[in-house]
Amino acid sequence: MKFNIRHIVFLLAILLLFVSISFTSVLKETENISGVLLTKQTTFEAGNNIKLVFKLNIPARTDLLLHSSYGSTMIAPDNFNTGQFTIPEFISYKKGVVTYTLFHDTKVLTQGSICVTSNEKTKVHLESYIGPPSIIAGGKDYTMQVVLPTDSYDNPMPDSTAVLMKHQFLSIEKERMIYSKDMIGWINIFSYKPSGRLLLFSKVGNTVSKEFTVDVFPDLPENFTILPQRRHTYADGNQITKFITSIIKDEHGNIISDGTLVDFVIKDTSGALLRTQGTTISGQAIAKMLHPDHEETWKVKAYVHGMAESDTLEVRYTRVIEDFDVQFREDNREITIGPLMSFMEQLIPDGAIVKVNVSKEGKKLDILVKTSSKGLVKFLLQEGFYPSGTYDIDIEALGVRKTYKNIALQ
Amino acid sequence: MIGWNRNIYRSLIFLSFIGVIALMLFGIGQTLSYLNTGADRTSMLHLALKKDEVYLPKVKWEDTLNPGRPIEKQTLQDIEQDYLNSWYIRNTAYQTNTIEGIDDYYTKSARKNIIKLVQANSQKDIAVHSTTINHNIELDFYSADGQLVVLSDKNVQEYQRVYKGEKLLSESKIQSDYQILLMLEDGFWRIRHIVKEETYPLDTKEQGNTFAKVLNGKIYINDNEYQIKGINYYPQQTPWNMFGDEFDRNVIAKDFDIMNKAGLNTIRIFVPYEAFGKAKIDTAKLDKLKQVLDEAETKNLKVVVTLFDFYGDYSVIDWTLTHRHAEQIVSAFANHKAILAWDIKNEPNLDFESRGKENVLAWLKEMIQQVKQYDPNHLVTIGWSNTESVHLLQNEVDMISFHYYNDIDQFNADYLEVNFQNKKPIVLQEFGLPSSRGFWNPLGPSEKKQAAYHKQFQEVIKQNNLHYLSWTLYDFEEVPEGVVGKLPWRKHKQKHFGFIDRKGKKKAAFEFIAK
Repeated sequence: MKFNIRHIVFLLAILLLFVSISFTSVLKETENISGVLLTKQTTFEAGNNIKLVFKLNIPARTDLLLHSSYGSTMIAPDNFNTGQFTIPEFISYKKGVVTYTLFHDTKVLTQGSICVTSNEKTKVHLESYIGPPSIIAGGKDYTMQVVLPTDSYDNPMPDSTAVLMKHQFLSIEKERMIYSKDMIGWINIFSYKPSGRLLLFSKVGNTVSKEFTVDVFPDLPENFTILPQRRHTYADGNQITKFITSIIKDEHGNIISDGTLVDFVIKDTSGALLRTQGTTISGQAIAKMLHPDHEETWKVKAYVHGMAESDTLEVRYTRVIEDFDVQFREDNREITIGPLMSFMEQLIPDGAIVKVNVSKEGKKLDILVKTSSKGLVKFLLQEGFYPSGTYDIDIEALGVRKTYKNIALQ
Repeated sequence: MIGWNRNIYRSLIFLSFIGVIALMLFGIGQTLSYLNTGADRTSMLHLALKKDEVYLPKVKWEDTLNPGRPIEKQTLQDIEQDYLNSWYIRNTAYQTNTIEGIDDYYTKSARKNIIKLVQANSQKDIAVHSTTINHNIELDFYSADGQLVVLSDKNVQEYQRVYKGEKLLSESKIQSDYQILLMLEDGFWRIRHIVKEETYPLDTKEQGNTFAKVLNGKIYINDNEYQIKGINYYPQQTPWNMFGDEFDRNVIAKDFDIMNKAGLNTIRIFVPYEAFGKAKIDTAKLDKLKQVLDEAETKNLKVVVTLFDFYGDYSVIDWTLTHRHAEQIVSAFANHKAILAWDIKNEPNLDFESRGKENVLAWLKEMIQQVKQYDPNHLVTIGWSNTESVHLLQNEVDMISFHYYNDIDQFNADYLEVNFQNKKPIVLQEFGLPSSRGFWNPLGPSEKKQAAYHKQFQEVIKQNNLHYLSWTLYDFEEVPEGVVGKLPWRKHKQKHFGFIDRKGKKKAAFEFIAK
């Protein structure tokens, strides 16, 4: 292979070319690149295509850092070495200030911010939040209607968006125009005197919300009265007396809610307390109690605990028998009581309680209790339990008491 | 022979029988224990998520008056917790490009936006490491049924770093206002809308140091020029564990007397990050630190307090925890007269390789601002381990500190580089030579050599008019593994840096401790 000077010159020239190219590119890197935003518009409506164009004094590879409401990202220019950037949809569709920083490699060329506003030209979407879902009548309690109007990109509408709030209650229909603030529009709706059902609704522009319901429950019950209802007034220990309240209402005349618990407390002549309960239907509660089996006067009072109470009712029961027969047989070991006869001389219905107190020399030995069957009760004092001797026998039935002293058992 | 075989067979059958039974029992046990596994019922209550405090930016409720209804304290706490969690979860999502936990803190329509951003970033291999530093929250609205709130979060400082793959593209700090609408769903306050309303330039409040200050490269305390003649200090019995159970104020007081007598005026002590309770400062430890500072004040010693000893995370997501740590310590002693400077971290440049230089530097830079925010009275420095790192964060620190364990004859040459064009005081924060001649180091320097070293160094110091703190007062019995590792010859070296030996006898070098 022969070299001549031309070859060498040629090779040298190529070498020089490469060196100069590499040097210029190195030089380019170190030169001062600067960028200016050409796009004049800085406020955009959400949903529009946002293009930011930067003027670079030297074409160079740049990146744009975006910091938006929901986070940050870095985007590349639309074409290599140009300064035009298309803001991605997930940022250009969301309301808020977007801060941008233009980078060349890691060098900040320029920074600034643009503003994306909600798009009022799109269809408005409404989100309504109503609460509490049930309130109390009378005008002290209220429910709150909160409306969140958004554009179709789910951005909150700007402050002072007009929101029409409407509600219906019985024959009342009211509407009020309010203006949103802090993303929301809201009003308090106070209850009216009557109880019932409140229907709510709102409207922004042409968008209407669905219907919302708030129940208005009656206020606290007021004091009430009670009445007894019974088949007869005899203390037969068999029939049932009903206690019925008057129609319980709140202070505004609303019948209190069904199912309100009414507690009836009965105090008998000995001071013992009996209790029975009922829940209201259409404002009235009914409670039941078995008749006493002896002459008795009950004092009855009903309570809706912590809220209201009735007056005190006195109920008298008269005794059904004046006396009964007692027969001692089998060396006085078999005691037959009866026939027990009721107020019309009919046999007392089965189940009347008869008690026998057995005592010896003033010391109580036993209380025997049995219920009547066909008007009769039979007690056996067996030898194994009651050895021979004299006993005092005391018999009690339907409020009548008979005492037999010194009964000798063989 | 037949008898033997039979026995062998028998025992084989017997053993295999036992083996089969054992296997069956094991199998049944495994099945039962498998059936007992599964979701813990308590997970329904969402308790686990709230257990650990992982995100603690500075939160201030500016105002809770709102037209809706008065807010209850408990609800306010719940909202704050969930709101902060939403930031934490979001930051984590953009850092890892996964959407773990987003469901819990964003409503269905809001989480779409985050998912789209995560998808876009993950396609481009972009990761955003970010954290918020503070929140100033105003309650704009709280609904009557307690299910909806609107908040304004003003002047939120966000720090973020954007990576493409491994490459750091940008680092920035942004301050913005947000308005947020949250709703109570499934027991979580979830974000429904978030709108960034405004972006501000960062507040850079440059507050002058009022107690100790730096002017023209000189340190002044109460307007008197101050020359540090100091020593790094651990009590002899409790090196690297100064504030533990064996803390004894009397021992420390005696040591301070020794230093005073020797002509020293400054000490450097260390506050370990984990031992002090991380984000929740152990008050007992804080009290011990106060005792040390009080004692120093009575003995007329100034203290350089090195924070974040043994800390090594630096990740952006961990920032807020360290900020709370610093806040509690620094604000507690903001007016303490014994403190000269807060040393942010001991030798952080050693973590450059393992933790990433940009991670460490960004953390330091923000931490300096945090410390200055809570204590404008004292100086701030960073204890670099070598002279190559001193140019880092030069503008942020009040004085420049470095450590020098290289050949003393090299010092003047190395120092020239440090001193080059510097208007801040330079502190030689650690130097020393172990008199470690012994079994583990037969050719090591003797006590004589140590004395010669310190003598020579004192001359160098005088020549350059250097601030200095030598390493260290005592020889130690034990050196914990966390300091130099397990190797006995390394530990051995670390045990012999003292001016006073283990028996309490002053070594030859003591003569040159301060002159």
